[in-house]
Amino acid sequence: MAASSFPLPDTDWDATRAFWAGAERGELVIPRCGGCAAYQWYPAPACKACGGKQFSWTAVSGRGRLFSWAVVRHGFLKPFAKKVPYVTGLVTLEEAPAVRLVTNLVDCEADGLQVDMPVRVVFRPLVFPDTERQVMAPMFTPASEPVAGKERNARDV
Amino acid sequence: MGAYESDWGHASRFEPVGGEIAVVGIGEAEHSKASGRTTHEIAAQAIERAIADAGLEPTDIDGLMYSGGMSEQFDEEAFHAHFGTRHSMFVSKQGGGMAWAGSAPYIAARAIRAGKARHVLNVFSVAWATQRSSMLGGPGAFHAAEPFKFNLELPFGWFPQPVYFATITRRHMHEFGTTPEQLGAIAVACRRHANLTPSAIMRSKTLTLEDYLSRPMLVDPLRVEDCCLISDGGAAYVMSSLERARDLAQPPIVVAGVGEGYSDSGTHWSQQRAFTSTPQVFSAPPAFAMAGLEPKDVDVLTLYDPFTIVALMQIEDMGFCKKGEAGAFVEGRTLHHDGGVLPYNTHGGLLSHAYVLGIAHVVEVVRQLRGQAAAQVPGARVGVYGGYTGHMATTLILRRL
Ligand SMILES: [Zn+2]
Repeated sequence: MAASSFPLPDTDWDATRAFWAGAERGELVIPRCGGCAAYQWYPAPACKACGGKQFSWTAVSGRGRLFSWAVVRHGFLKPFAKKVPYVTGLVTLEEAPAVRLVTNLVDCEADGLQVDMPVRVVFRPLVFPDTERQVMAPMFTPASEPVAGKERNARDV
Repeated sequence: MGAYESDWGHASRFEPVGGEIAVVGIGEAEHSKASGRTTHEIAAQAIERAIADAGLEPTDIDGLMYSGGMSEQFDEEAFHAHFGTRHSMFVSKQGGGMAWAGSAPYIAARAIRAGKARHVLNVFSVAWATQRSSMLGGPGAFHAAEPFKFNLELPFGWFPQPVYFATITRRHMHEFGTTPEQLGAIAVACRRHANLTPSAIMRSKTLTLEDYLSRPMLVDPLRVEDCCLISDGGAAYVMSSLERARDLAQPPIVVAGVGEGYSDSGTHWSQQRAFTSTPQVFSAPPAFAMAGLEPKDVDVLTLYDPFTIVALMQIEDMGFCKKGEAGAFVEGRTLHHDGGVLPYNTHGGLLSHAYVLGIAHVVEVVRQLRGQAAAQVPGARVGVYGGYTGHMATTLILRRL
C-alpha cells in the first residue's frame, strides 16, 4: 500500500478485495461458507463453524442493528483531526447477527442513537484531506423499518 | 463446561506450581513523563534495584525474562553488557509486562523446578512518553500494523484503543446499566492511592468524583480520566525457590496460583463474542483453584487498567462480584485502601501511577504483602494481579508465608 493513501484501506489486499469491490458497486458482501452456509467475519482461510475452505462473497440486505458506538472527539491520527467529532461503531447484520462490521454512523445526530436500534447501509466515500484517492465504503444510518432478530444481539456468553 | 472453555475462549492447562517459588526482590525505575531515557537505561535501573532488594549480586541472576513481542527490551546481551557478566542464563521471551507480568512466575517456577535457573528476573520498561513526543511509536503502533484492523477498522476511525474501549463501555452500560459515576469511582480510587504514592506520576494531582464528572469526553462515553497515562518507566522482580527465598533479604512472597486465559478472537475486539467480558473468565478460576483460595480471601487487588472499563470487567470476570454487577460493587469506598472491601490498585494503577504496563502492579502487590506499601492495606496476606493484553488475561495470586 502506498504511504500517501493512509488511512485508506488497501483495496487490493486479497482477504478483503471483494468487500471493497462490492461497496464500489453498491453491494454489501460478506464471505459465506460453502459447507455450512455460515457467514464468516473477519475473513479467514477456514470456516470457524465447520472447517470448510470454500467461501463465496454473498450480498446481504444491508439491514442490521447498531451494536455499539463511540463519539470520537479527539483526533488521534492526523487524517481524522478535521473529522472530529465523528461516530464510529459496530453494526450487526440481519442475516448474520454474529457478524459485526466496523463502520461510521452518518446522516444522524449522535444524541439520537440507541444500542440495538435498526440501521441500514448507505455507501459513502472515505475521504481524507491528504489523500487523492477515495474509496467507497459501507456506512450506516438509522432505519425506520423494523428489523427481525433483536434478541440474537443479546449477550450470548 | 463451566468457565474454563466456551465458544469464545479457553484457559491454558497449567501444572500446579503453587508454593514452589517466591518473589524475593522488587525494583522500580523512576516513572515519568517524557524523560529522554532509553528503555535500556530504565530497565537497568529497575534491575539494579530489584537485585539489591533481594540481597543478591548480578552474577546470581541466572534466569532472565522479558517481552519478546516488544522492541528494545532488556535482553541477555544487554544484561551482560550492563553488569559486565558473562555467565550462562535461562532466557524466556514470555515475560515482561501486560498479561505476561502475571504469567512469568509460572514459567520461572517450571525453570527453577527443572534446575535451569536458581534466581529468575522478569523485567519490563517503556519509553513511550519520550517516543510519542518524537512520533516514533507508542501503544497504537502494533494495532495499526495488523492488516484486518488497518483495512476494516482504521479507515472508519475505529482506532486506537480509547475508541475500542469506549465502544465496549457503551455496550456494557446498555447490558448492565453501568453508569459514569461507577466508572468514575474506579478513576477516583486510583488517583487517591496515587496521591499517597511517591513514585506515582499523578501524586500531586487530586481527582474527586465531581471533578471526574465535570471533565469533557475524549471518546464518548470515556473521558481522559478513564484512560491510562503515557509514561517512561519500568520495573523488575526476582523469583527464587521458596527454599532459597527463606535465606534472602526480604520476607518471601509466595506464588500461590497462576492462571492464563485466551479469547479466540485475538486482539480483534470488534469480533469478540462476549463483547463485554475479558479472558479473566478463563484465567481466574484455575488460578484460585491452584492457590486453594477464593476471591473473598483477597486482601489487595491490582488490575491491568488501560481504561476504567477494563478494570470493571475484570472485577466481574474474576469473580469478585457477579457478571454485570461491578458497577454497583465499585461505587463509594469499595476500592479504597483504608477500609474498602476490595482495596484496588493501591499505587494508582495505569490511570494514575504510571503506564508501565502492569509490571509495577506486581511490584505493588509484593510491597503490600511485605507491609511496605505507601497506601498500605493493614495486615494484607493475599494479593492478586490481574493481567490483560486484549486476547489474553492472566491471574497471579501471591501470599505471605
Ligand atoms: Zn462452514
